[in-house]
Amino acid sequence: MYMKLCAFRIRNFRSITDTGWQNLSPDNITCLIGQNESGKTSILEGLRSFYTGSISEDVLRSDLTLPEISCRFNVNNGWLSDVTENPGSELKELLSELTTVELTRNWLPDFSSTIKVSGRISEYLDSLENAWGLYLNEVKAKLEKEIEEINRLKSRLDEIMSLKADIIMRANPAAGKGMVGRLFRKSEGGLVERLPADQKHKFNDLVKEEESVRKTLAGKKEIADAGLKYGALLAGLEETDRKLDDLESKLEEYHQKMTLLLMPMDKTEDPEWTKVLEDFRNNRMAKEKLKSDMEAHIAFSGYLMEGRSPEESQMLTLEAMRRYKSQYTSEMLGRKYFEYCPDIEMFEDFGSLLPNRIDLEDIITGNENVEGYKAARNFLTLAKLDYSFFQQPSSRILKQKIENLNNTLTVNFQDFWQQSIGRNNKIKIQFELDHYSLNYSDKAGKPYLEFWVKDSGERLYPKQRSRGVRWFLSFYMELKASAMRSTKPMVLLVDEPGISLHARAQEDVLKVFEDIKDRIQIIYTTHSPHLVDVNKMHRILAVQRDDLDNLKSTTRVLDPLKLASASPDTLTPLQNIMGNPLPSEGFSANRLNLIVNDTGTFYLISCIIQVTGFKGKISIIPSTDVSSIPLMCNIMMGWGLKFAVLLFGNERERKLEEYLKENMFRPGDKEGDYLIVTDPRFLNAEDLLSTLDFKNHVLKTREGITVPNSVYMEEKELPRSFLLSRLLGDVRQGRIEPGDFDEETHENFRYLVELLKGFK
Amino acid sequence: MHGESTYQSEMLAKAGLQAFDEHLSSLRYAGMIQHALMPDEETLSGILKDYFILFLPRDIVSGDFYYAFSNREYLCVAAGDCTGHGVPGALLSILGISFLNEIMQSEKCMKANRVLNMMRERVMKALHQTGEKSGTKDSIDIALCIVSLKTGEMQYAGANRPLVMIRNGELTEYKPDLMTIGLAPVEERAFKNNYIGTRPGDMFYLFSDGFPDQFGEESNKKLKNKNFRKILETASSLTMMKDQKAFLENSFFEWRGKMPQVDDVLIFGFKL
Repeated sequence: MYMKLCAFRIRNFRSITDTGWQNLSPDNITCLIGQNESGKTSILEGLRSFYTGSISEDVLRSDLTLPEISCRFNVNNGWLSDVTENPGSELKELLSELTTVELTRNWLPDFSSTIKVSGRISEYLDSLENAWGLYLNEVKAKLEKEIEEINRLKSRLDEIMSLKADIIMRANPAAGKGMVGRLFRKSEGGLVERLPADQKHKFNDLVKEEESVRKTLAGKKEIADAGLKYGALLAGLEETDRKLDDLESKLEEYHQKMTLLLMPMDKTEDPEWTKVLEDFRNNRMAKEKLKSDMEAHIAFSGYLMEGRSPEESQMLTLEAMRRYKSQYTSEMLGRKYFEYCPDIEMFEDFGSLLPNRIDLEDIITGNENVEGYKAARNFLTLAKLDYSFFQQPSSRILKQKIENLNNTLTVNFQDFWQQSIGRNNKIKIQFELDHYSLNYSDKAGKPYLEFWVKDSGERLYPKQRSRGVRWFLSFYMELKASAMRSTKPMVLLVDEPGISLHARAQEDVLKVFEDIKDRIQIIYTTHSPHLVDVNKMHRILAVQRDDLDNLKSTTRVLDPLKLASASPDTLTPLQNIMGNPLPSEGFSANRLNLIVNDTGTFYLISCIIQVTGFKGKISIIPSTDVSSIPLMCNIMMGWGLKFAVLLFGNERERKLEEYLKENMFRPGDKEGDYLIVTDPRFLNAEDLLSTLDFKNHVLKTREGITVPNSVYMEEKELPRSFLLSRLLGDVRQGRIEPGDFDEETHENFRYLVELLKGFK
Repeated sequence: MHGESTYQSEMLAKAGLQAFDEHLSSLRYAGMIQHALMPDEETLSGILKDYFILFLPRDIVSGDFYYAFSNREYLCVAAGDCTGHGVPGALLSILGISFLNEIMQSEKCMKANRVLNMMRERVMKALHQTGEKSGTKDSIDIALCIVSLKTGEMQYAGANRPLVMIRNGELTEYKPDLMTIGLAPVEERAFKNNYIGTRPGDMFYLFSDGFPDQFGEESNKKLKNKNFRKILETASSLTMMKDQKAFLENSFFEWRGKMPQVDDVLIFGFKL
């Protein structure tokens, strides 16, 4: 059993500040849509870096904050406790109830990284660490108090000695320095005897106090020693911290320089860099060691302060550490669970390109350096061949087997590749086994495999085929072979698959994804509507910049439920498939071509036609914008097509109406033959909906709206085309029925239909 | 010491009374403003042939309000009842009146239900009602009629408040939509338009729920709608609308007796 990737969160990676947790589609195919430069590829690269642990300066954001990438995985109930040895009863209980596990990879300034378990498991481990930390803090405070007391006693002792000397000196001014020294030796006791009575009394009090202080200090000797060691460790830690601060600044400077230069550099050739890196790593290790020594020493001092012997304290310290500290840290568990992480691979375009020819020997010996090795290996995997197949002694039987295999492979490939060259001329993939002739002196007689991509007209080497065919073949073989070989789950990251493919072939890419999704999880980016399955909108994550006009702004990811707030450009692939201007709805010679201001209006008019059941012969042609309508009129006129322009009451269309009347239509033309102008209260198509229907069926919100719907859309900068295409989708799929619209909307719809009917 | 404390109490009482007086006079002034926002006798008699307004606020200011508007094509009358009474109700009633004014003056193609739909949008926006937890739950119940001056056709739309028509002594009640002008519990729906062909002499009554909800001294029970209709039917037998008002007013006070008034009372009666 392995873990299945179900969500991710990427922080501080290229344009991404924080994606928040983003769930992947539960059916194993997730599609990232968005404009160029929105950050889609960064998400794929982020996930790849989570797996490999490697990053370079170019992924750093301008503030040089280091990346942090988390992945959440689904696991079976009880699996975590099964793979965690001796977790302890509390941790075991937690692990056995968890069905997800979170791993987070953090990078350090030297670009090394740690992988830790995060989420609920780390919260539990942290709570244990916190308990240990609280205990240590308590002991530390007590120890510092003790050290303070010992220091106070020591200075009092110095004070007593000096007071005693003072008394002697004052009574025997001539005694001199040497006398004071002798004062503290028993043999010099006579000096005290000669003191006046009050001084003698004072002196004896000091002697008694001195004895008491000395006795107390002697009792605290071990604690005093512990205090000294504590001081030394503290100084060591401070010094290491200071050094690490310096080194981190140096590393940051270096990253900054590299980011600005925007060029990779071989860091191993830079001795200064190597030295800084080495120092940083050594100091980090030293710090970890000092920290751990300090913890043990504080605990040890605690027991000393309780009056235990050093040996006893040592033993109790070890026991306490076992008790308070879990045997596992977040890092240890992170490393452990990461072993079960699916392989996260980036699909390499043309990485599996079939060679024209490859020596069998190179395949058998696994010579990865030879051109096309990977593709040939994938090919043999697909053909379910191992190398013993070629040891068949009879060349006739071998040739027959190869012939059969070629047929099977072609049939399988054609299941996915629908395109034909000409009418029924589908391409076939083939391989042949042959031997070098005597012309190849060093290889003469050695076997090689030769590959062909055939159609009935031509037999060409793979490299002679079009870019699209080569890409698809490479893609097909790589994915199918990976799925067949995989013993461990795999997440395949595919950046813009099939750019060079025809629309139908792009749909074939989706078929390959569907075919392997049970064995390989796919996350891909696309701009193409043909690579988005409209019936599986849950697969979509929309990626866009926070500020659409600023490429330096951060990347935002919107899940399927929040797509309505995505920008129109981000949603282009969706708009193109939801109520798409179908091929049958293009320019028509038999119908009236009704030009409307944009795709949003196209969707709404299509919706009105559906709701009212209008049967007029009309083909709706969306312009890209009001300003393009004159151009479209010119085209229609040039082609001699019957057309009309539908104009709403907004200022731009009112001006256009004037323009068209003055410039476009010939004198004598009745502009009524070309123009359908709505009542001025309909500023745009969406104003044909009552406010209530606009809220309920388009916006799906409940706030009060007191301006025309079109004005509201503009003010709020809503993705008009997307929202109206969603409405059309809802109406077409019966989620919204004609009876769901209110009387006012129906009245407006009837009004428009009458306008269209009246147009001859 | 004792003297000082008495002095302080007296001063405090004096200050309290003064504050109360100030509140009262400002409320009275607010009441005057509220009245001024509603159509005066001159306006109403210019719009309607014969009418009466029985308006008995429970407090100085009221949550009930009436409205009338006319242009060359139609006349519009309405009686509203805002949630609560006193100051909160009055504030909402002022919003209601100004929204009605704004809608009536801007709309060309007038429909009673459309006016209520538009009014609801304005109230929801003003009170930040979005269906989320934030925002108030306040709302306005209202009955609104629009009469075409050309055809005599009446449109009625109601938000929780009905319209009563008495023709030849027979009472017909037009039921309202059971929705208020404000956030609905689940989802807002469009108000329904009722078209009523009118005849000369037809009498119409719009009213708040203050009268039927009033507790009577003798029974200690609410009057209820059924009895209120009987009173209306009886009143309608009086030809002059001002006589009907006097009858209804007397009936109210008679029913109420010494019981306190529970809510604002408004009846807007008019004859076509």
